[in-house]
Amino acid sequence: MRRNRGGIGVAPQGSYQAGAEEAATLARLRAGDQAAFRTLVRERHGRLLRLAGAFCRNRASAEEVVQETWLAVITGLHGFSGEAPLAAWINGILVNKAKTRAVRDGRMVNFSDLARDEGEGDAFEPERFLPDGHWAEQHRPWDALTPEREAGDRQLLAGVGEALEKLPPAQRAVVLLRDVEGLESPAICKALGISEANLRVLLHRARVKLRDAADRMVRG
Amino acid sequence: MLTCHQVAEGATEYMEGAAPPMRRLGVWAHLRVCRNCREYLRQLSRTIGLARRALVPPPAPEVEDGLAAIFAAQGRPGAAE
Ligand SMILES: [Zn+2]
Repeated sequence: MRRNRGGIGVAPQGSYQAGAEEAATLARLRAGDQAAFRTLVRERHGRLLRLAGAFCRNRASAEEVVQETWLAVITGLHGFSGEAPLAAWINGILVNKAKTRAVRDGRMVNFSDLARDEGEGDAFEPERFLPDGHWAEQHRPWDALTPEREAGDRQLLAGVGEALEKLPPAQRAVVLLRDVEGLESPAICKALGISEANLRVLLHRARVKLRDAADRMVRG
Repeated sequence: MLTCHQVAEGATEYMEGAAPPMRRLGVWAHLRVCRNCREYLRQLSRTIGLARRALVPPPAPEVEDGLAAIFAAQGRPGAAE
């Protein structure tokens, strides 16, 4: 049911056509198939909680937002037209619920303030470059990172998950929405109330930190 | 000619296709001659793939059971809504 996205870009919206597997999953869910629903929960729950954590200031409210999201998914399945991937539809519900709730409770994370604070200065420590602008270090290829490890090295992928959790909140939010869940930039800017320039600065910092963490783990 | 530092700072803008044309050309020209920056951008790109597959803890069994129970109740004829 997860769609493969080639390269760095994401599929344009409005042109989505559900694949056979996704259509079958949706049909089973609408028919009340318990196993299909449990599979969906196992696939999405942890990711939803992680995403909610980017908007909410504490674990308890993130859990409540995820619970509300599941209730909306269950009641909305029959009305869902399938014009977007199921996962994207669920993420959209979560983002709306998280925002509504945070605003109502006065706990909305102000991403535009965070973007300013987290985007100050250089993304790199000065010692990473020589005075003439060349890299101070040689980047050795990630030969140790085989496609098999990339797809199935649980220790590595858990480590990347931990590195994601350690990012400052606004950087975590943008990298989760953009790179992990594959939302389009304008939708992210709208959800977080930040500019495209803010988004790119935060995304860049997040990617730089994650790459450094991955580099250490790949070389182990 | 852009420096490695400039290319590294602008890497995401370039990868997202958001760099202005002259900048884009400058990065492209630098990458043609700089193996170190090419490798760095390749690693940034592969990092996105790793982030997409990053593991999250599975739901607790009682959470999964609770949601499954709500799903089952909703699916029964005459259920609310
Ligand atoms: Zn270079």
